[in-house]
Amino acid sequence: MAPEPRGPVVHVVPIGIDLDLEPGETIIESAWRHGYDWPTICYGQAQCTACHVEVLSGAEHLAPVEAEERDALDHRLSVTGIADPTRIRLACRARATGEVTVRKVGVVAPDET
Amino acid sequence: MAIIEEPRTTNPARVVPYAMRDALHVPRERYFDREFFELEKEHLWPKVWQVACREEEIPEPGDFVEYEICDDSIVVIRQADRSVKAFHNVCRHRATQLCVGDGRLPGGQIVCPFHGWRWNLDGTNSFVFQPDGFDPSCLDPDDLALRECRVETWGACVWINMDPDARPLREALAPASPFLDAVGVEDMRVWWWKETIVNANWKLAQEAFHEGYHVMATHPQLTFGAGENMPRGGQEYTAFANGHARFQSASTGTDGSVAPPGGADMFLQFARVLWEGQDAMTLERDVQVFEGVRNKVSENENFAAAAIGALIDYAQGAGIPLRTSPEAMQLWGGEIFLFPNFFFLPQYENALSYRFRPYNDDPEWCRFEVWSLTMYPEARPEVRAKLQGRYATDDTENWGLIPRQDFSNMARQQRGVRSRGYVEHRLAEDMERAISNMHLELDRYLAR
Repeated sequence: MAPEPRGPVVHVVPIGIDLDLEPGETIIESAWRHGYDWPTICYGQAQCTACHVEVLSGAEHLAPVEAEERDALDHRLSVTGIADPTRIRLACRARATGEVTVRKVGVVAPDET
Repeated sequence: MAIIEEPRTTNPARVVPYAMRDALHVPRERYFDREFFELEKEHLWPKVWQVACREEEIPEPGDFVEYEICDDSIVVIRQADRSVKAFHNVCRHRATQLCVGDGRLPGGQIVCPFHGWRWNLDGTNSFVFQPDGFDPSCLDPDDLALRECRVETWGACVWINMDPDARPLREALAPASPFLDAVGVEDMRVWWWKETIVNANWKLAQEAFHEGYHVMATHPQLTFGAGENMPRGGQEYTAFANGHARFQSASTGTDGSVAPPGGADMFLQFARVLWEGQDAMTLERDVQVFEGVRNKVSENENFAAAAIGALIDYAQGAGIPLRTSPEAMQLWGGEIFLFPNFFFLPQYENALSYRFRPYNDDPEWCRFEVWSLTMYPEARPEVRAKLQGRYATDDTENWGLIPRQDFSNMARQQRGVRSRGYVEHRLAEDMERAISNMHLELDRYLAR
């Protein structure tokens, strides 16, 4: 049986959820649409960097970093405790074109908030 | 000329310095005096309906744009139900400016960067960090809500008024706005949008656009060699109530006679010089349509009428909602000024639009925005409009010849009104009446 065609999907660990991304949607917007609580202070302004994810696989399926996100990653991300800053993206700016797996601690399911 | 005089305010709340004494003179101090400028900041801008943004700057829910006027910053936000709200852009805690420039609020939250307090898109407070640290009297929900401005939309623009007791927008825009409804400004969208900073008072700068009298000397290319023999007339100037004004073709003919007489060559040359000179009012598409009928019209026919007919056919075929009532066509090539600082210059399915604001709290500088608008086919999706950039007044790459010619007079006039040898403007009764009409309305605001 042929696999069903599917759009971009972001697997989030350790919570173990799959987020489908609509055209133009970022990771955090998909999470919000599904009712998840995702760490953030600035709610999507690429300022606080609290929403950042570690990309475990499928980095090539993420749209390239643009100026706002670049500025935040280069100048406002505290790298203490981050093993490899080159694998960090902001969930409020990253858009996917295919299958991606990211690590994000602190994502909370709707019924637990 | 129709002049509708309003009675001067009886028992004014204050005496306005450098007040207008008649409709023919404008005292020079109105363009640089600090006290006069402060009166405008106190009694004009917080009380008057003004364009905060074009609707397509915030097409999607959560889109915001900051509107700055003198000391005030207003954030205009598209709501989930696609209505628009506007708020004083300041945190209720310790005054931090909330939103800057333009952008999106994808999480539906306005967040203060200082202590993380938040508001919903409708201005209600949604989060105070560690609220038990505050006396309950400081956290009254009604008092925590962002302070709202009046908002109405018209002409594809979002208008705000900081005065809760202001009359409705359409009442304030009367009787001028129906003429713009007739040409369909509601259906026009941004072709390009640029701005410049001008070393001139905001009123002085905008007065460059209140008349066609300056065309002979400032834009000699538009007289096609007629020069000082350029005939007077052909234009009808009207000063309206509420400070608004209009000029337009004096002819009410429905033959499409919107260009100078002179047959096909002159018509096409005029179309081309407008397109090349400002990429507005006449666009490349219009020139192509006009040139397409060049060889299909006999010597005896009215070329302008045939060209306009071709444009109407083209618009119908392309799904462009061009308006062709006699009233609309009479305004093509003319102008409507909406008090205090906004213009539309419609032509065909296009228009120029201008907005002037004081800049940097300085009476002698202003921020001048120019929009070239056009109608797109009705099926086109809404595209978020963005300012292309801020360009110097002499930037030949980014400003066409026509606007550069207009800019060139403004700083020189500002130097002039500072001269001890100068007292006041002397205005043409008819052609420059829109200028004094604006100032007389301004005095009514300042005296209230």
